[in-house]
Amino acid sequence: MRLLALAIGAAGLLLWPWAAPRYFVFLASLIVVNAIVAIGLNLLSGYTNQLSFGHAGFLAVGAYTAAIVATRSPGVPVVVVLLAAALVTAAVGLLLGVPCLRLEGLYLAMATLAFGFVVVEAILNLDGLTRGNDGLRVPAARLGPWALATDTARYYLVLVVGAVMMWAAGNLARTRTGRALLALRESEVAAQASGIHVARYKTLAFAISALYTGVAGGLFAFVVGFLSPDAFDVFLSVDFVAMIILGGLGSVPGSVAGAAVLTVLNDSLAGFQNYRPLIFGAILIASMLFMPGGIASAVRRLRTRWAGHPPMAPDSRRGLE
Amino acid sequence: MTSAALVHVVVSGLATGSIYALVALSLVIVYNATRTLNFAQGEMLMVSTFAGFTVYAHVKLPLVVVMLIAVAAAALLGWVIERVIIRHAIAATHFDVLIITLGLSLVLRSAAGLAWTHDEFPFPSFFGTRPIVLGPVRVAPVSLGIIGASLALMLGLWALFTGTRLGRAMRAVAQNQRAARLVGISVERVYAASWILASVVGAIAGVLIAPVVFLSSQMGLVAINGFIAAVLGGFGSMPGAVVGGMLLGVIENLAPLYLPSSIKHSVPFLVLIAILLVRPGGMLGRVARRKV
Repeated sequence: MRLLALAIGAAGLLLWPWAAPRYFVFLASLIVVNAIVAIGLNLLSGYTNQLSFGHAGFLAVGAYTAAIVATRSPGVPVVVVLLAAALVTAAVGLLLGVPCLRLEGLYLAMATLAFGFVVVEAILNLDGLTRGNDGLRVPAARLGPWALATDTARYYLVLVVGAVMMWAAGNLARTRTGRALLALRESEVAAQASGIHVARYKTLAFAISALYTGVAGGLFAFVVGFLSPDAFDVFLSVDFVAMIILGGLGSVPGSVAGAAVLTVLNDSLAGFQNYRPLIFGAILIASMLFMPGGIASAVRRLRTRWAGHPPMAPDSRRGLE
Repeated sequence: MTSAALVHVVVSGLATGSIYALVALSLVIVYNATRTLNFAQGEMLMVSTFAGFTVYAHVKLPLVVVMLIAVAAAALLGWVIERVIIRHAIAATHFDVLIITLGLSLVLRSAAGLAWTHDEFPFPSFFGTRPIVLGPVRVAPVSLGIIGASLALMLGLWALFTGTRLGRAMRAVAQNQRAARLVGISVERVYAASWILASVVGAIAGVLIAPVVFLSSQMGLVAINGFIAAVLGGFGSMPGAVVGGMLLGVIENLAPLYLPSSIKHSVPFLVLIAILLVRPGGMLGRVARRKV
């Protein structure tokens, strides 16, 4: 049953470029990119309870790294470019993660917010590398002899990378590291008492989260083809937070669902820019008041109801207060 | 740089700082009562100021009346938000309420844009434009006015918190909610009072700063600097909020004189990151020890 659903879903995703108009292929790529960011953010916020308002900053670091590497050394395979974006962003995440160890809750949220602003200012000021406000054109991604120059080719690139990242995140929860992170979410003190090195794992969570966002940034650069600093403002970070809140904290499929819903919504509201924040804000408030746990936990509840089980106890979704 | 010019820069820094201090105070008032950060504080300030401005645009009332209207609108807004949204999340975690106020800030900013457009409007000022000359020193009257009005308001708040029953109840709730309830304080009423009071303080800050920065839907962003001011002083401490606000205002005004101008916009954030690294509890704050 589960396998069948997976197979149908995979076939649908693979055949999508032949069924959908070109623009929707582009949109699907964007959904996958945002989903990777949402998964990365969820590894930090959902797993270790550290809220970040700076992920647009990580996305920018990844995107600019990829664009600069691809421009300076043409012909480098896209895998190498994405690896460079991932490593640079993870290093930045590590650098930010170490001082952020001392912070929690509001302070952490504000420090990451500040990080996002500083990244945009840095892009503006390093105009030798980033061309500042003029923006940076990104060459086509190269895979050996091929240039991935069409929307369809880029879609498959994004899809493959996205699938790998999703699979890795899904399995992370079953590794020693993943269990340590989940333990941290429930109670730092209890985790520490069980021999989990709190500082090490919290920093690691920051680095992994940044790594995911860096890869997404690299893909974003190729999908969009043009980078300018105003694309990475704080409101983008808020959008990412909205994705994981709507999708469900701590859930990988939830992150993907939240990213898909909000990316499509964002796109359909393109003609109504004035209403966009209104609707996003209302979604944030409504999911917190009426659907805590997001889409993921709503689906879980529906499934148990259909299966004829008595309703579950209110799910423990996050750390105890 | 002459010392007279330096005085001018410091005074205008203190004026900006007073506004930061007021915003920081309103954040701290809500935080002390409910232990949550109100992300929508800046937007509430902006909406209240717009309410006063709308009346002024139709009927040219004296400015004091305009300010009173803004204050009334702020009180109503604070009360409605607390009763309709925040009260329902009373059992939720701080994280959840933070997200709710974040959503609220998006909604309010967007709604203000729809109601009043995203343009900038000139706002009438209480104070003249002719500089006050004291020997070699020239100071803008608006700076002195903002500083004076803010100090008066802070004195009023101090009197409220030390001298009145409500103020003592609010301090009791800030210290220990359960104990406050045990001695007969209605915690719910203190929540509502805190939201209203914070909203009112914000509205006054909004009316004071609007003539300087223009009135627009983006005005709420001042709350970010207000937050940094509160952290600088030690989040949760009211004297800390005042000192932090003044200090941030002066630093922000002095920094461009000594540092490359390109990092001007980053100054408050660099201050924030620095203070969080060196002394996360702020200048006058204590780092709370969390119990298991």
